[in-house]
Amino acid sequence: MQSSDQQAYDRGVTVFSPDGRLYQVEYAREAVKRGSPAVGVAAADAVVFAAHGRPRSPLMEPDSIEKVHDLDGRLGVASAGHVADARRLVDYGRQFAQRERLRYGEAPAVEPVAKAVADQIQESTQSGGTRPFGAALLVGGVVDDGPHLYEIDPSGTPAEWRATAVGDGSEAIRSHLEAEYATGLDADAGLSLALSALEEGADEELTALEVDVAVLDESGFEAFDRDRRATALDDADLSAAS
Amino acid sequence: MTPEDFGLREEPRRHELSHDHFGQSDAVDAPMFDTGTTIVAVTAEDGVVMAADQRMSLGGRFTANKNARKISRVHPRAAFAISGSVGPAQDVVRSLRAEASLYESRRDEPMSMAAVSQTAGHLVRGLPVAPILGGVDDEGGHVYELDGGGSVMADAYAAGGSGMQVAYGVLERRFEPGAALADATDAAVAAVDAACERDTASGNGVTVATITDAGVEIEAVDDASEATATEGRDAAGDSGEVA
Repeated sequence: MQSSDQQAYDRGVTVFSPDGRLYQVEYAREAVKRGSPAVGVAAADAVVFAAHGRPRSPLMEPDSIEKVHDLDGRLGVASAGHVADARRLVDYGRQFAQRERLRYGEAPAVEPVAKAVADQIQESTQSGGTRPFGAALLVGGVVDDGPHLYEIDPSGTPAEWRATAVGDGSEAIRSHLEAEYATGLDADAGLSLALSALEEGADEELTALEVDVAVLDESGFEAFDRDRRATALDDADLSAAS
Repeated sequence: MTPEDFGLREEPRRHELSHDHFGQSDAVDAPMFDTGTTIVAVTAEDGVVMAADQRMSLGGRFTANKNARKISRVHPRAAFAISGSVGPAQDVVRSLRAEASLYESRRDEPMSMAAVSQTAGHLVRGLPVAPILGGVDDEGGHVYELDGGGSVMADAYAAGGSGMQVAYGVLERRFEPGAALADATDAAVAAVDAACERDTASGNGVTVATITDAGVEIEAVDDASEATATEGRDAAGDSGEVA
């Protein structure tokens, strides 16, 4: 599986390999790739999240799979990878958003929240005894100067995107987004694009049961219920037999 | 004219956007050692009405601010009327608002009034404040009196501050269980008005908060008989952002 010269450099996360790599961070990125995907699209006046959450069994409650998360009523997060790790980061973001209000009397924009969460992730790559977070997050929302969408990977690097994806099939999804994305999309078109991109990365047809959708606009975070997800799939011309 | 609200701007969540009227932040942060206030809260048929005077006084001897907003929304369907020291009361309002918002983000539903009141009780313990909390949940309207010892007492109506005896005198006559909102509003405003007449530390007009299933409406009234909406007084209200 791995060559012996690599062995010494993937035990502790704080150790660089001679060629400058942090193997544990790279393994964390692999963990993200094994997670079901999440897509984010920044439209003209909204950020749209679509994610795929596959139940392991028909006995599982599909709505209990957490893929999109409300941060503070205005901002949201979509996650891929280890759900347990993502939940910790989401709650850190929630507390950060409230602390900013207490400290400054104003709600934070997307960038400060994304960077605060990113710094939290970075700390895990440089502290003794910790492992990196096995999750990648998309942080988005619409604040004063319009929609913003950030991706944070397990190294703790934040990057702003107009549209991107994390998780399983993210490369196929991203190349679909690169081909189809146009600036000035409205929220509905952004949602259709996010769903069609998500289907590019999926092995099977998307259903309203397994898809998670949230739209963030000037009035805040709104997760779609199952009926609205079915309608959104119809609008994107993806048959939604659920 | 913008009412002072002690810097307690609130970031609205989606369902609150149409009725956010919070003032701006440049409040005078004067120390207030004595309770110099009249606040009341009255349950009604479809909600809760709260009222407060608009005078902030220093030691009950000097009017430090004539346009103080003493009632603030802390939750989609709850408001907090402050009496006692201003600084600690501001902290309580901000913290309660943060706790309620965090709860809603984490659990995807607003706090019940029982949970809001218990959280408020934890927050006021040890502080020189004696506020009133009013709100509506699935079980109807609730009013709670709180104090610095951390006590949380539910009641159908309550008054607080240095004008409370005068206000209670009016409420004892005029409170009716299950009254219509308009009648409850008249009673609450009359109680604060009477206290403004006789309590030297209360005065300078009345603020009214109406809390129903639809949310919290806060407005100033100029006259006891006529509630005047003050739409547009507050330029900073809707976004909650600093101008």
